[in-house]
Amino acid sequence: MIGVAPPAYDPAAPTTANTLPVGAPATVRAYVAELFRRHRRAFALLIAVNTIAVVASMAGPYLLGELVERVSDGARELHLELTAGVFVVALVVQAVFVREVRLRGAMLGERMLADLREDFLVRSVGLPPGVLERAGTGDLLSRITTDIDRLGNAMREAVPQLAIGVVWVALLLGGLAVTAPPLALAVLLALPLLVAGCRWYFKRAPSAYRSESAGYAAVAAALAETVDAGRTVEAHRLGARRIELSNQRIREWTAWERYTLWLRSVLFPVINFTHTMVLGAVLIVGGVFVLQGWIGLGQLTTGALIAQMLVEPVNLILRWYDELQVAEVSLARLVGVRDIEPGAGDPNVAPDGRHVHAEQVRFGYREGVDVLRKVSLEVAPGTRLALVGPSGAGKSTLGRLLAGIYAPRDGRITLGGAELSRMPAEDVRSHVALVNQEHHVFVGSLRDNLRLARTHAEDAELWAALGAVDADSWARALDEGLDTEVGSGGFTLTPAQAQQIALARLVLADPHTLVLDEATSLLDPRAARHLERSLARVLDGRTVVAIAHRLHTAHDADVIAVVEDGRISELGSHDQLVAAEGAYAALWRSWHG
Amino acid sequence: MQIQDLPFQDPGVPDARSGPRFLWWLGRNQLGGQFKSLAWGLLHFTSVAGLPFCVGVAIEAVVARSGTRLALSGALLALCGVTIALGDNFLHRTAVTNWITAAARVQQLLARKTAQLGSALTRRVAAGEVVAVSTGDVEKIGWFVEAVSRFTAAALTVVLVCVALVVYQPALGIVVAIGVPVLALAVLPLLPRATRRADEQREKAGRATELASDTVAGLRVLRGIGGEDLFLDRYRRASQEVRHAAVRSARMWALISAIQVLLPGLLMIAVVWYGVGLARDGRITVGELVTVYSAVMLLGYPLRHFEEIAMAYSFSRPSAKRAARVLSLERATATEGSREAAVPSGDLYDPATGLLAPAGCLTAVVCGDPDAAGRLAERLGGHAPEEGTSALLAGVPLDELPLDSARTAVLVQDKDPVLLSGTLRELLDVPASGGVTAEEALAAAQCGDVLEALAQGSLDAEDPLDARITERGRSLSGGQRQRLALARSLITDPEVLVLDEPTSAVDSHTEARIADGIRSLRAGRTTVVLTSSPLLLDLAERVVLVHEGEVAAVGVHRELVRKEPRYRTVVTRETDEETAADALGNGGAAPREDTVPKDRRTALSDVLDELEEIEETA
Repeated sequence: MIGVAPPAYDPAAPTTANTLPVGAPATVRAYVAELFRRHRRAFALLIAVNTIAVVASMAGPYLLGELVERVSDGARELHLELTAGVFVVALVVQAVFVREVRLRGAMLGERMLADLREDFLVRSVGLPPGVLERAGTGDLLSRITTDIDRLGNAMREAVPQLAIGVVWVALLLGGLAVTAPPLALAVLLALPLLVAGCRWYFKRAPSAYRSESAGYAAVAAALAETVDAGRTVEAHRLGARRIELSNQRIREWTAWERYTLWLRSVLFPVINFTHTMVLGAVLIVGGVFVLQGWIGLGQLTTGALIAQMLVEPVNLILRWYDELQVAEVSLARLVGVRDIEPGAGDPNVAPDGRHVHAEQVRFGYREGVDVLRKVSLEVAPGTRLALVGPSGAGKSTLGRLLAGIYAPRDGRITLGGAELSRMPAEDVRSHVALVNQEHHVFVGSLRDNLRLARTHAEDAELWAALGAVDADSWARALDEGLDTEVGSGGFTLTPAQAQQIALARLVLADPHTLVLDEATSLLDPRAARHLERSLARVLDGRTVVAIAHRLHTAHDADVIAVVEDGRISELGSHDQLVAAEGAYAALWRSWHG
Repeated sequence: MQIQDLPFQDPGVPDARSGPRFLWWLGRNQLGGQFKSLAWGLLHFTSVAGLPFCVGVAIEAVVARSGTRLALSGALLALCGVTIALGDNFLHRTAVTNWITAAARVQQLLARKTAQLGSALTRRVAAGEVVAVSTGDVEKIGWFVEAVSRFTAAALTVVLVCVALVVYQPALGIVVAIGVPVLALAVLPLLPRATRRADEQREKAGRATELASDTVAGLRVLRGIGGEDLFLDRYRRASQEVRHAAVRSARMWALISAIQVLLPGLLMIAVVWYGVGLARDGRITVGELVTVYSAVMLLGYPLRHFEEIAMAYSFSRPSAKRAARVLSLERATATEGSREAAVPSGDLYDPATGLLAPAGCLTAVVCGDPDAAGRLAERLGGHAPEEGTSALLAGVPLDELPLDSARTAVLVQDKDPVLLSGTLRELLDVPASGGVTAEEALAAAQCGDVLEALAQGSLDAEDPLDARITERGRSLSGGQRQRLALARSLITDPEVLVLDEPTSAVDSHTEARIADGIRSLRAGRTTVVLTSSPLLLDLAERVVLVHEGEVAAVGVHRELVRKEPRYRTVVTRETDEETAADALGNGGAAPREDTVPKDRRTALSDVLDELEEIEETA
């Protein structure tokens, strides 16, 4: 058997579509150029210290060559003390500058990496809310974890090490050429083999390593899922299947390990032969030249020793080159976020009053498929409107349009006469807030979790907000009060407490209009009851659009809109709708039996 | 052992008494691979050590002006080249195979242990540890197992070279033989500090990644309410901290690099100083001087493996300890049971509360305390994590059945069932009676829109059953997840199905239809639903109120709403304070209308409205 074919199953193949764009080659190039420009001084410095280190490292072979020359000539006066002195000085210089190279390389790499990840987060938090709603955060999340991680290696090691390696090889070849020009040419004899081997290898390696590491990650992921789903696995008697799944993942991963091992089984001999050929060429060609009297014995010795020194930088370049290829793909995914237009909006568009108005609104997520069809609706300040209807009828979509997250395809949605879609997102949210099932508790202090709604709030204001939602009693009982670390890894809040935090944020942000999208539906209904009291206090005096799961929410509303199939089919108060004997009345009856 | 033979049929029973014992057990189980790796390693390292000899011969040949000997040195060099390449290639292949074999074996052991621990694991702190072992520790353990034989080969070679140098050129050889141990050991004291700094950096980097992914995960909240700058500042600070920690760590490694240049350099100068003197006096040849010089230069290569093994061991020791701890975990209760593996059929009875679920009936249970409801559900399945009296199925205590039989007889779907990732087809492919098809179950759980959403979101799936579900079903809404989990439980079609709040995140329209679906699909089978939703309760043949750990009332929904105030408190929207007021005003009897203020906004009035409605329809 010669060779191993790549496995058919590729664990790195995407299973979900890219929901966000991937950077075009031109964008990536422009970004890389900018990165280099920003760090050009550090690059220049790195190359300078590297040059000194490499030149100093060639002092040894050069001095030994001189000595060998003189000893073989039978010279009595060797100036050994002087030579050793120079040698020691060169060695100290080399050691000092090797340290500098490592350090400068790391500093440069770390600075570039920090730039890159901070840039990316700046871009991400500026994304228009509509893009986030539509794309979800999954793709973005994989970019900030997996892609940043992959780039970490490239920026921290590959870029500086490659810069070092290339300069190193060039200087050694230069040193060889200065010692004896024919020897430098002899080295080139080995070049075709290396180039051919590398071309073969690097064409296959990057994607193979991506698959291999995705395969390995899948082994751990399968196990993590079994752990996480322990109860479900036991209840459904899935234990044996989970073991088989882990075996399957191991089989898939090791198949890729076997393939990459084969790739290296081709590359490594090529590299080893190249090194031997370089040394052999220098020794034999050089030896013949010495025998012919064209160069001296000292030059040959120096040349042979320098040829041996080539091993390290060549391996360095080969070691990091494929990392750079992997990084290119990740970079394109990171830079892609820059291609999204930030939703600018016109800061001069300002609402006059709190009247919400939708006129003949049409909207769809995909071309040609409208989710909402000619919806018109008016919400007077301070009223409570409930949207009810079956799943998928478009009530959540209508809620998002009323909160200014999506812009209608046709028609207008206005707040106090100003079109929501023309206002900057930062302005819209000071008037309208969307509250959904997602009550994310951020990793950090309780204070940070609240202050995001009002950045410069004093502690007294925060306590007042917690008090308004009945959360102050448990919050005061925390050991460190507002400084308590919450979120994953910190103090674990119950879902009800998390929801209270979300409500306290609303109190702080103080928008006059709220869109509630099934805000309490994920909670255990037995725990939800306490929250509704907190919620009632937050809602007091505001305009509320509630997307209702539970009929009692609808029952409490001033106006109920029944959304069916992208239209509003019924509109009126609870009593009116029950009297009208339509869809709502039927549902109400079934709920009550 | 070859890679293509993995995974193991049986990964074996590990010696998990301690970390070092576990490492030893792993190494002992792949002794063949270790010896292969050692043999190829010796070939490789000794061939590399042969290069200086070739160089020396070539220089000698030139000094002696002999073309034949120059050609001979070329041939020697070619031979070395072949054995270096061969040795390197097979050393790499065998070492990597050792790594993969060890890693695969540990992963398999973990998978088995996890499946065996099942629900016991989620309640322990150990859940996080299992994942930590799988994602981080396995690699480090594998690294040590891999590095051992490579290090042994390198160490043997270093000894061999020193001995050879002493024999080949005693005067110079002794200098080298004294110098080499110093070189090998010089940087070892610095390594712990360097690895500690590297750990600090990794920890900070992990923290920064966590902050970033946490910010992105909550980005919709952030964009909806503000605070982006607050979080950006926080991330920038964390990111700069990572940078500083990384540079601090790099300082240490840079120092180590400098020492690795300086010390061999000094040895080299000593060799040259001493050697040139010897050469001048004619005691050694020029070629021999060059040989010794380049041998010292190349010794740096095997010497690096001293550092590698030191680091591999310091990293793998805590990892192996943790792995051993995880692999020695056991379930608190015996899973074999004391009775024969048979699935009884009959009434389900819980002696602790007095709850009876008659065979073939749909029983709904109302329980005011969510935690107590969860514990009750667990008890109904048998083999509960807490000690206590066992639930009886047809008079047979479930705890006395083997775990697998108990789980076959009673399926308890807890409040937070997990959707396992994979295609929808794989999700629904659970051990089942075969009596209910996927189509029927999906229809009963009202999953039509879920199928549509899945088909739209997937790349190439025409059939929604081929659409992929992400981990924990995160791409789906809470209600969609609940309905899929319900469909999965319905497919199983067990003797007894226990559902804890199966529709809490589903809208009323859909919930009404699901209630219908469950009733018709489970007709004639035993079903217990723990819920407080009137829509589900109204369809149950028998409703049981469990209050303070005991059955307080039994009846049907409408009757209980009318007669039982404690039931009403849980099922309707009444709050605690109002109940208290209610109890004070009415002595626990049904509320009289004249004592209640007529405010539309209070929850109590809802109850009254509801009561009026019920009275009208009755």
